[in-house]
Amino acid sequence: MINQDFTRQLVDHAGPARTEFSLWRLLRIDPPLFLALLLLSGYGLLVLYSASGENLAEVKRQSMALAMAFGVMLVVAQFSAHFYRRWAPTLYAAGIGLLIVVLFIGVEANGARSWLDLPGLPSFQPSEVMKFVVPMLLAWYLGSRPLPPRFKHLFWTGAMILLPAGLIITQNDTGTAIMVTMSGVFLVLLAGVSWRLVLWGGFAALLASPAWFLFLAQEHQKNRILTFFDPYRDPTGAGYNIIQSQIAIGSGGVYGKGWLNGAQSQLDFIPESNTDFILAVLAEEFGLLGVLVLILLYLFVLIRGFHITYYASDMFSRLLAGSITLTFFFYVFVNMAMVSGIMPVIGLPLPLMSRGGTSILTLFIGFGLLMSISASGRRPVA
Amino acid sequence: MAEKWQVKDHESEKRLVNRRLVVAGMFVGLLFIALFSQMIYLQVLRYDYFAARSDDNRLHSQYVPPTRGLIFDRNGEILADNQPIFNLTVVRELVDDMDASLETVASLIDLSEDDVEQFRSRLSRRYVPHSSVLLRYKLNEEEMARIAVAQHRLPGFSIEAQLVRHYPLESLTAHTVGYVSEINRAELDGMDEMQRENYGGTNHIGKSGIERTYENLLHGQVGYETVEKNNRGQVMRVLDRTDPVAGRNISLHLDARLQIAAEQALGDYRGAVVAMDPETGGILAMVSKPGFDPNLFVTGISNKDFNRLITDKVNTPLFDRTTNPYPPGSTLKPFIGLGGLQTKFVDYEFAIEDPGYFRLPGVRYRWNDYTFRTAIGGGHGHTDLKKAIYQSCDTFFYDLGNRMGIDTMHDFLSQFGFGQNLALDIPYARTGVLPSREWKMASRGEPWYQGDTISSSIGQGYMWVTPLQLATAISILANEGKVVRPRLLKAIEGEAFEPAEETRLPPLVLDDPGYWDYIEDAMTEVVHRPFNKTFRDYGTAYEAIAQIDPDMTYRMAGKSGTAQVVSIDQSITKSGDIDVADIHKDHGLFVSFAPARHPTVKPKIALAVFVENGEHGSSVAGPIAKQVTDTYLLDILNLDLEVPEEPELDSDMSLISKND
Repeated sequence: MINQDFTRQLVDHAGPARTEFSLWRLLRIDPPLFLALLLLSGYGLLVLYSASGENLAEVKRQSMALAMAFGVMLVVAQFSAHFYRRWAPTLYAAGIGLLIVVLFIGVEANGARSWLDLPGLPSFQPSEVMKFVVPMLLAWYLGSRPLPPRFKHLFWTGAMILLPAGLIITQNDTGTAIMVTMSGVFLVLLAGVSWRLVLWGGFAALLASPAWFLFLAQEHQKNRILTFFDPYRDPTGAGYNIIQSQIAIGSGGVYGKGWLNGAQSQLDFIPESNTDFILAVLAEEFGLLGVLVLILLYLFVLIRGFHITYYASDMFSRLLAGSITLTFFFYVFVNMAMVSGIMPVIGLPLPLMSRGGTSILTLFIGFGLLMSISASGRRPVA
Repeated sequence: MAEKWQVKDHESEKRLVNRRLVVAGMFVGLLFIALFSQMIYLQVLRYDYFAARSDDNRLHSQYVPPTRGLIFDRNGEILADNQPIFNLTVVRELVDDMDASLETVASLIDLSEDDVEQFRSRLSRRYVPHSSVLLRYKLNEEEMARIAVAQHRLPGFSIEAQLVRHYPLESLTAHTVGYVSEINRAELDGMDEMQRENYGGTNHIGKSGIERTYENLLHGQVGYETVEKNNRGQVMRVLDRTDPVAGRNISLHLDARLQIAAEQALGDYRGAVVAMDPETGGILAMVSKPGFDPNLFVTGISNKDFNRLITDKVNTPLFDRTTNPYPPGSTLKPFIGLGGLQTKFVDYEFAIEDPGYFRLPGVRYRWNDYTFRTAIGGGHGHTDLKKAIYQSCDTFFYDLGNRMGIDTMHDFLSQFGFGQNLALDIPYARTGVLPSREWKMASRGEPWYQGDTISSSIGQGYMWVTPLQLATAISILANEGKVVRPRLLKAIEGEAFEPAEETRLPPLVLDDPGYWDYIEDAMTEVVHRPFNKTFRDYGTAYEAIAQIDPDMTYRMAGKSGTAQVVSIDQSITKSGDIDVADIHKDHGLFVSFAPARHPTVKPKIALAVFVENGEHGSSVAGPIAKQVTDTYLLDILNLDLEVPEEPELDSDMSLISKND
């Protein structure tokens, strides 16, 4: 049996067709990615159960959201990459239209006026949609132009990014605006923009940041940055989250305190333990080993994303898949970095672990696109 | 240009993007390594530090206060117990904005400025992190509901149940049992390290009376527990516990029924009653009227209530009249008479012819007999010691005192406890003044004058005696010399308490035990000698006591006294709240023991009654003593004191029948 499998794989690498996995091919599912996502989701539910104070209802709700997201992912995967390329401009136009509509009839929640409550539809955030619509459009635009992109194309690319980002900032949702921008930036980087330009851009950002801090940053943003440099300047206020989260992580040690046994988590010392700071719960209860497992799972998803990107059949797919993968990494890294104290606090959830329906849905639409690209992609050739 | 972007080299573009992909992958790897390094730093290198911080966060060692011992009277009636109340408390660390929260609380429940002020002083008093500090005592149900509803707006505020002292007899035991109240800074500073530790969880300490005297017995030993608290300060689990040792329950000699009877007997008068069991010195009743509600002090008396208590300069409810001195007046006469017999300045036959005044040889000044200063004048005529006592003849005692001299008088009287505090467990009782040459020189810097002796011999002048001392002296008299020391503690945890051997005092032995009987006789005459044809030959208290109750089954030995009011605070006389004439009135006193001259039953109760501005000892204080004695002997002890028919009468009868 084993021998047979082995030869089969050899054949696989050698030959073009892979009829053995017909079921997966039929469903347009990438099995390794699918498996990793299942494992991560399961891990996430386990931690959430503990973080929510053994609230089974909370876990059920999250499971439902995950199940729905998996479903949406499968649906998204059924369409070919070609389909998305064709519809990219239309989707983008529709997205911008919705963002403008939100400007007028948006509903506010958690300080951001970004929700749209249309009759007959569940309420949703058009800004979330832009997280994959913007890279889709850019992939469409740059994919059909010679690479590395000319300056003129870069200019238009910038405009395509900044238009939705600007609209989202007016909704007072800086986090999403950053994510939308970053997904575009990653795509441009992949598209081969010259390193000199990247360096100049980075340099300009560095120069601009003090000005931003002094003139543009809002009070809570300034606070977060000051707190990052010295959490103890206000240990019971602004610094409380990061201090308690570090205590939780550090006291977890190598092996952790055990599931449901994290003192910091169970006694509510970790704020936002269900959402942005869920990593602290995981690190406290499962220790360094648990964190390692999490990082390896993420790494596996990323490697799979890179793999799909590498073997994508055309430039649109390649750019889109790369952007989605890197955006996912950005999410993971920013959250883990902020919770462990190597970056200022930015309100971003930990993908697949934190509670929350909308962000999961967006994430899985991204994975659906990856699977679609994977299904339409070339076979890896040895 | 145009040509250039027309050409699209798919293979080179793919290589370009894939190269970028490899760079991105390296970045991803590096950043993950950085992230994992930070995790290793936190979870491995600084594990000890963060583990300790985590424990600090959740583990709190806290005191478990012991339950204060209960106080019972001699029959098991509760004088002081502990009752649950609900308090509003605050954990400071959890409050975002104290002022705003206090305002919110004030809008929900009645929170006076007083409460807030006391709360702030508690905050500054001692500080255990994450401990709850009391904001307001005794929430009622509605207030609890209001706080509960607004709980989410008041982080750090919670309702805690607490056992606090409760005095069911209220003002009746205010002075004797005393009260507990919050420990203050000075009391904490006065404790040594171990005591302070023992009071770590205790809010209250005995401030007066028995509560203070037996604080050590009543308080108990503090316990400890290690608890796990969540970030709101709620205790989630108790991890380790050392139980506190509850305070000891104690019983007093006091009889609540007699205490009530004494208070009622005083009626509308201000005054004091001290009743003692002459056998043991156990105090049966100790009432100072008016009293105050000691429960007010337990949960922090409001400024308004406190001001009301301290500004009442006439009633002075906080002033303990049982342990503060007054001139004893004529109640001292039996003791001086006894001293005269013992020192041979008088004998049973000695008598004077009383003109109604006394005059020192060669001195024009007359010391009048105050007994008659408003009446018809004149003297008592032929007067021996017995008559001098039952008629309360001042002239006789002027003469006797003058002849005895102050030194003899002082030495003899001091054996009855005058001028000192004999009480075993009433350390706050005043000693009064038993004047002597040395005392006057030391305290006034003046030599003793002969006139001082004369006023002292009728219990005036420098003589100052507390009702407690009078009751003690009367007990010694009733005991025929056995000295007892007043005491309140009767039993600890039901086990009878006997004072240590070395606290016993030697008995007072007279040359002739008959002197005791003579004085007892004379004092019995005070109460029972009826009016007869002889001029001024009745007992001074006969009219007020024996005549009113012809069915009296027992005999009572007593002595009335009237003490001049010495000086009155100007602020009182000017206040206009009170009839000034009233507070210039003399104080009435009465001392007694009973049953007296009983063939089988020894004296069971010794009494001192003091009536402030009562004017007359015999007519005002006497009936009070009678009422208290009746209650004790007849209602409480339920004694059958009826003396069977006199035997000689029987023999007379038989003689008559024989003659027939």
